[in-house]
Amino acid sequence: MNLQVRDKEFVVLVGPSGCGKTTTLRMVAGLEEITSGEITIGDRVVNDLPPKDRDIAMVFQNYALYPHMTVYDNMAFGLKMRKFPKPEIQKRVQDAAEILGIHELLRRKPRQLSGGQRQRVAVGRAIVRHPKVFLFDEPLSNLDAKLRVQMRVELKRLHDRLETTAIYVTHDQVEAMTLGDRVVVMKDGWIQQVGEPLELYGRPANKFVAGFIGSPAMNFADVTIGEANGAMWAENPGMRIKIPAAQADQLRRYKGQAVAFGIRPEDLHVATGADAQDNVIDAVVDVVEPLGSEILLDVKVGPTVMVARVEPTVRVKVHEPMRLGLDPERFHFFDNKTEAAI
Amino acid sequence: MRRRTRAAGHALALALAALYSVFPIYFITVQSLKSPQEDVFGSPLWVRHPTFENYQELFAGGEARVRGYVIVPRVPFLGWVANSTIVLAFSVVLTLGAAVPAAYALGRLRPPGWRWWRRALFATYVVPHTILFIPLYQVVIALGLDDSHAALILIYATMALPFCIWILSAYYGHLPREIEESAFVEGATPLVAFLRVVLPMSRHVLVAAGLFTIGTVGQDFMFASIFLLDPGQQTVAAGLGVMDVSLEELVTVAGVNLAAIPVVLLCAVFARGYVRGLTAAMVEGA
Amino acid sequence: MAGRARRITAAYLLLSPALVLMLGVLAYPVGWEVWISVTNFSSRGPGDRAFVGLLNYRAMLHDSEFWRGLVTTVAYLGVTTLAKLALGVPMALLLARPSRWRALVFLAVFLPWAFPGGITVIAWYWMLNPPLVTSYAVALGTLKHAVDVAAGGGAYAFLSVVAFNVWRGSSFTAVFLLAGLNAIPTELFEYARLESSSVWQRFREVTLPLLRPYMALAVFLSFTSAFADLANVWMLTGGRIVFPVLGTQAYWLGIRGGQFAEAAARSLSMVPVLVVALALLFRWFDRREDTVDAAAPTASGRSLGHRAAA
Repeated sequence: MNLQVRDKEFVVLVGPSGCGKTTTLRMVAGLEEITSGEITIGDRVVNDLPPKDRDIAMVFQNYALYPHMTVYDNMAFGLKMRKFPKPEIQKRVQDAAEILGIHELLRRKPRQLSGGQRQRVAVGRAIVRHPKVFLFDEPLSNLDAKLRVQMRVELKRLHDRLETTAIYVTHDQVEAMTLGDRVVVMKDGWIQQVGEPLELYGRPANKFVAGFIGSPAMNFADVTIGEANGAMWAENPGMRIKIPAAQADQLRRYKGQAVAFGIRPEDLHVATGADAQDNVIDAVVDVVEPLGSEILLDVKVGPTVMVARVEPTVRVKVHEPMRLGLDPERFHFFDNKTEAAI
Repeated sequence: MRRRTRAAGHALALALAALYSVFPIYFITVQSLKSPQEDVFGSPLWVRHPTFENYQELFAGGEARVRGYVIVPRVPFLGWVANSTIVLAFSVVLTLGAAVPAAYALGRLRPPGWRWWRRALFATYVVPHTILFIPLYQVVIALGLDDSHAALILIYATMALPFCIWILSAYYGHLPREIEESAFVEGATPLVAFLRVVLPMSRHVLVAAGLFTIGTVGQDFMFASIFLLDPGQQTVAAGLGVMDVSLEELVTVAGVNLAAIPVVLLCAVFARGYVRGLTAAMVEGA
Repeated sequence: MAGRARRITAAYLLLSPALVLMLGVLAYPVGWEVWISVTNFSSRGPGDRAFVGLLNYRAMLHDSEFWRGLVTTVAYLGVTTLAKLALGVPMALLLARPSRWRALVFLAVFLPWAFPGGITVIAWYWMLNPPLVTSYAVALGTLKHAVDVAAGGGAYAFLSVVAFNVWRGSSFTAVFLLAGLNAIPTELFEYARLESSSVWQRFREVTLPLLRPYMALAVFLSFTSAFADLANVWMLTGGRIVFPVLGTQAYWLGIRGGQFAEAAARSLSMVPVLVVALALLFRWFDRREDTVDAAAPTASGRSLGHRAAA
């Protein structure tokens, strides 16, 4: 794996559990031994430096607050270790507490705090040190959904304000997308793709990234590529769609072969007269999930199950047939063997 | 109605538990407060005219003399208490001093076979002590520790160590790794992280280990009476026990009570910590 | 893997004071005891000790006194242990329930164990074996006589050790199991309340199995205290307890008779029993331990919350 994080950048490592993202982070921190390769911070190779000399700060998933110390002492610990003068410690802790809105909690013990407050203390402990790099190891995963959204926004604001390089590990692709300047998708210890959030979303490099980024996930269908009437077609027993000219060239060499076709739920819509007949499929409604701002339709398209994200005004009934239009500019095709995007 | 009956039953059970636990101590205390006359003619269950005669006798010190029909031997009680305190204090310090690093090694650093080390240490509890004092005495002589408190301290430490290592290593083993790791990231060396973070966090377990050591030391009478023959070196147990043949039994009982008071107070102060410490070590099956 | 080697070196370094202490104090005495038990060492016999193999053990196995002693010893351990559990478990359950008087009763229950056993046994002994001049001496004297006649000489003194050991041991057991109860997540008990309305059934099916590992450890520690209390009373009374327990027999043979070899064999004869007990203990208590190597990368995602309360 080879990854370069730029100064002041917020990079998110994302992937399913066991993909090596946490190990990567722990290697950067110096908590995990490196068998081969090199890690540099600034111009320094830090392979053999103990964590304390790497000028990093880390926020752990379980916060790792010291239960026997007050919030103040927890936050001041790193500064005390580095022998900062007392007034300076006081000032920095006060400032950090102010930023995070925890200054009334400074004299409490961690067990007297709520989950969100503990999380803030853990972040506070990291920022008082003004480190070169922040490392976050799934810092939001122990919070409830609402708090998680709130803290996500705050972390983003904090990073804008502090302008410090940050590496953030999460398994939640929404966190990755919203927080990262760049997102690194990992699987089984390998980097799948590195890029800005919208780039990953719009042009996933392979099937894994395509399926991992985005919620609800991208729909996949097994199709066979064929050529007829001077155009390329993707077909299976439930659908037959025309491949737009821009993609046709790349797909020509897959003629007669099976590939994976992908389309995101929002690129499906209830078909109207305006849709070209080549980009409409027949579907049967299976489940309707009204979310208020939108409706998710689980539909059966031949042998395949797909999810469509449609307008809240759409009225359909379960088990009834309907026609869905596809946005021809948003088709994705993946090689079945290599899973790479075509 | 049913709830009331149950509450009453609960209260009754609590009362019974308390009574069962306290009665023997109450009983001996009552006897120790009696004058020789009341001891013979009074009721065994209460004392009508409490007197501290028997307690004062302990501090009379000096020469052996006649009291009533009995010859009261010299009772250097304060000296015994001082000796007991020394033995107790050093036993606790030595035990914890050896147990903490060992427990950290077994619970945290986990060298190959750590589990068997822990078990092997614990297995020393099956060694029968009955005639062990003969070779132990040889060891004590070889170390030049005869009539020395150090001999007792060493023996007591070996009796308390396995359990202390067991519970401490269980605690250290279950402590989330991130606690130390965050200290490393914050700039602490392993030693500093241990002293400033891990050790304070384990204070309740240390209390539990310490009280267990005190209990172990307090339980012994045999070794104390064998290894401490010099009256100037004797602990309370050795002194009272050896004296018992000639000492009036009520004075002995008074001495037992008096010596127990500080230990009991110590235990009472740390009782909650003791339970919390044991609990902390037991979480997740220790 | 330099880190791993360093970690292991550090581990042994930290372990060494405890190991040196244990080996320094115990290795020679235990070795001596084992060695002596296969010689003819005796203060009466010829000066030189000679190796006699398992002769002492063989003689022991043909001695009916030994078998009586073994049975009595096992009975002593069994009875005291069961009594400690029978008293300690209910007291622990009682103390685990919230109540206004809990703190006070807890201290009361803690008291017997807090009272130093080595000297309390002296007071206890005098109370149960009073000299002739106390108010209740006649009553207890009659009882003592009756017990000794019924169960053999020394039975009364022996039973008083049993009573003392149970009294102090049940206190230890109760407090120890209270800690165990606290360590079990309350959800388990709450779920049991949904499943069964019978208190007894819940106790048998849920509480008891959950407590079992802690009970095993308490029981084992109770063995050591049972031996210690017996030893204390022998010392205290100068061997007046003649009840046939292995410890008494060994003490009698060794100190009174000078037959150290036989004494060593007899006192070692308890070891197999205790080893079996220990093996059971490890099976129950040491099993749930995670075998994961501390250095293996397993990020623990648990919240620190309840651990931190420790």
